[in-house]
Amino acid sequence: MADQDASVKVHVDPVRRAAPEEALRPAVDIYQEPDGTTVLLAEVPGATSERVDVRVEKGVLSLWAASELADPGPSYAPTYRGFTGGEYFRAFALSDEVDRERIEASLTDGVLRIRLPRAAAARTRKIEITPG
Amino acid sequence: MATFRFPGGLDPILGLRYMQREFERMFGRSEGAAEAVAAAEYPPVNVLSGEEEILVQCEVAGVAREDLDLTITGETLTVRGTKRPPGDEEQLRYQRRERGVGDFARTIVLPDRIDADRAEAKVSDGVLTVRLPKAESARPRQIRVS
Repeated sequence: MADQDASVKVHVDPVRRAAPEEALRPAVDIYQEPDGTTVLLAEVPGATSERVDVRVEKGVLSLWAASELADPGPSYAPTYRGFTGGEYFRAFALSDEVDRERIEASLTDGVLRIRLPRAAAARTRKIEITPG
Repeated sequence: MATFRFPGGLDPILGLRYMQREFERMFGRSEGAAEAVAAAEYPPVNVLSGEEEILVQCEVAGVAREDLDLTITGETLTVRGTKRPPGDEEQLRYQRRERGVGDFARTIVLPDRIDADRAEAKVSDGVLTVRLPKAESARPRQIRVS
């Protein structure tokens, strides 16, 4: 069963989570779709949608997520450890061209997808010259 | 250059890698170019050994369940899969690309013999969990002294 595309609420308010110390830095892809929408993909494996926080404040987009790996108990001895759970944090400066009110985030298969639509004002607009 | 990081900062030259990436960006070399996933280090795994079973956790964020393939022999587990790009690469203008794409495979040598028929695997939120019950012969046994 593929993970449901869970919607993540985007906060546009001044309360910002401080960057946790020793936070993991999620790998990201940032690209622009043909219609000008910027998409940010961040890998936050192990995080559920309740444990993801996306915020926009003063032109800074910050993302936080926490992953908890299932702990099978003390009777299991770690033979090899290649990754751990923990907190993910990363922040990005937003371009003025992004419409802050229409930012959407969703989480699928451990990848956080943030859509940053272009503001109407940033689209190319032809200005008619009025005869004067 | 592999862009997969080891969470927890185990990569001793991570700083250099970032620097290299920024240089590559500056000279426009790797921009938008698909990068192959380094098979030797991806995906990261945890192996935990219990009394009854071996538990393998595998970080496969962004890999769909249909694109994952597990092969078990008595003593090894091979995780194979494909990490697909988010869309038509020709249409997307990348500004930053740290996540890898492509085929990957990793073989894990298990610490004990297991019963492959009773193995179970599930994937949720980008973490694959494989439960491998230990073979009868690998379990601790008491031997009575007669």
